[in-house]
Amino acid sequence: MSSRRSSRGNISEDEINELISKLQALLPSSRRRGSGQASTTKLLKETCSYIKSLHREVDDLSDRLSDLMSTMDHNSPGAEIIRSILRS
Amino acid sequence: MDWEILQEGTDASGIERDAQASRTRPSLSLPTPHSRTHPSYITGSHAAAILSSHHLHRGAHAKAACPAVLSVSLVLGVDLISSRRELVMARCQGTVESLCQGLLDLDDDKFGAMCSAFGYLQEWPDLSAMCGANLGVPAVVAPLAGDGDDSSCSGSGGGGGGGGFRKRRPDTYLDAKGDGNDMSKRPRGKQQQLCGHGEMAEPGKGKQERPKASAKKKAEPASTAAAADQKTDYIHVRARRGQATDSHSLAERVRRERISERMRYLQELVPGCSKVTGKAGMLDEIINYVQSLQKQVEFLSMKIAASNPVVSFDIVEDLFGRQLKQACSPAALPAMALPAGQLEPPCLQNQMSPCPMQQVHAPAAAASTGFGLDMVVNNNLYPPAMASCPVSAATPESAAAGPSIEPCLNVNGTAAWDISSQNLFSGFDAQFQSVESDCLLDNLKMEM
Repeated sequence: MSSRRSSRGNISEDEINELISKLQALLPSSRRRGSGQASTTKLLKETCSYIKSLHREVDDLSDRLSDLMSTMDHNSPGAEIIRSILRS
Repeated sequence: MDWEILQEGTDASGIERDAQASRTRPSLSLPTPHSRTHPSYITGSHAAAILSSHHLHRGAHAKAACPAVLSVSLVLGVDLISSRRELVMARCQGTVESLCQGLLDLDDDKFGAMCSAFGYLQEWPDLSAMCGANLGVPAVVAPLAGDGDDSSCSGSGGGGGGGGFRKRRPDTYLDAKGDGNDMSKRPRGKQQQLCGHGEMAEPGKGKQERPKASAKKKAEPASTAAAADQKTDYIHVRARRGQATDSHSLAERVRRERISERMRYLQELVPGCSKVTGKAGMLDEIINYVQSLQKQVEFLSMKIAASNPVVSFDIVEDLFGRQLKQACSPAALPAMALPAGQLEPPCLQNQMSPCPMQQVHAPAAAASTGFGLDMVVNNNLYPPAMASCPVSAATPESAAAGPSIEPCLNVNGTAAWDISSQNLFSGFDAQFQSVESDCLLDNLKMEM
């Protein structure tokens, strides 16, 4: 199976493992737990939930920022600076 | 072998069942293999006929049962040659499939002619029930039934003749199914033993039919775990033809299925991932996406922290914790030497210090083990800010908010903005802006 895959896709099992561990390093839960190699299934599941939580966070933060922007006085120095941040 | 008993018990009831079947089902569009084979064997040996019909009745297992029927007839020395039977037998030489196919290939006319030649009804005798009533049958039947189970377990069943049976005789199918379940509940070892017995019973003859069945048996190491696995979730974990069926292979298959399911799910979640083919490409894409999302979150929380530091402190702390891990690298630590030089011990304690520079740096030093990276930022970027706004960050307001604000100052490099947001000076906005954007860019770069 693996030999067939490697001959076809030119991607070795090692590369996949490397990517998996890279992905694991990105996840907060696995980082906290240490370097214990979790199963790929669990890892992918965690990735799913993490991506979802990140989505939620981004949405939440965007909402907050837009709220702040709307409540802020337009010609205050704060608004000025936020605008510059957004532009950059 | 109790062939005599079988003969006595089954012959009459067989006929009776035949009649019954013809009453209940006067017209079957297609003749069944069972009724085709039945007359062939009953003339020579009733026992063989009973056995054969019984096994052909086990609709799902009919394919595998056919060679068994042949072998039984051969063992018993049933040498019934007629032109029709020769046709059937000739077609039956070889594999199980070809056997069943041979039976099925006969058209109605031919079959009718055959049946009439033998004086039998063109119907299914319901022999399974009959055979169940026979005491001697199960023992004799077992080896053959074992064959049937094996082949159906390895997934070859269902096609061809088996499928046809089900359509024609649902009740028979149910019968056969119940039978099959009974059989599969038997210990695997016993079945194999019985199969072996069946093989012994046909030495020298019927060789053509055996290899397939025995090959299937070989492919199935028949560990009890595998059997249990197959029974519990054989709907999901069904070995296809040629696939291994031992427990390890099954478990591996389940694992792979689960992984690919998750990958599919991730593919939906990550935009642009569906275009990428291959596992590695997908993983790469997922990693990039997660990273970009993380950056996005950090960036957004930075902006919010910048605009409203007190409210968003919790988010900043999140961010802080996240950065802590990255900043902890040994490479970042030496940089602490520089800012540490500027920090006098009194300043560390004294939040009310009039020097804004010290105020900015004091908490960083207090938490210095983790914040090497941030201190580098401070060190590089605050001097220009300091040059442009030398004094006066130490208003009571900022000092009071000090403990909560300053971590976010360090993280975001937005100290200047925090100060200016408190309307301390309006004249330095331009410089602050440049400092801020620099800080942000730096922060982002460092995240990379």
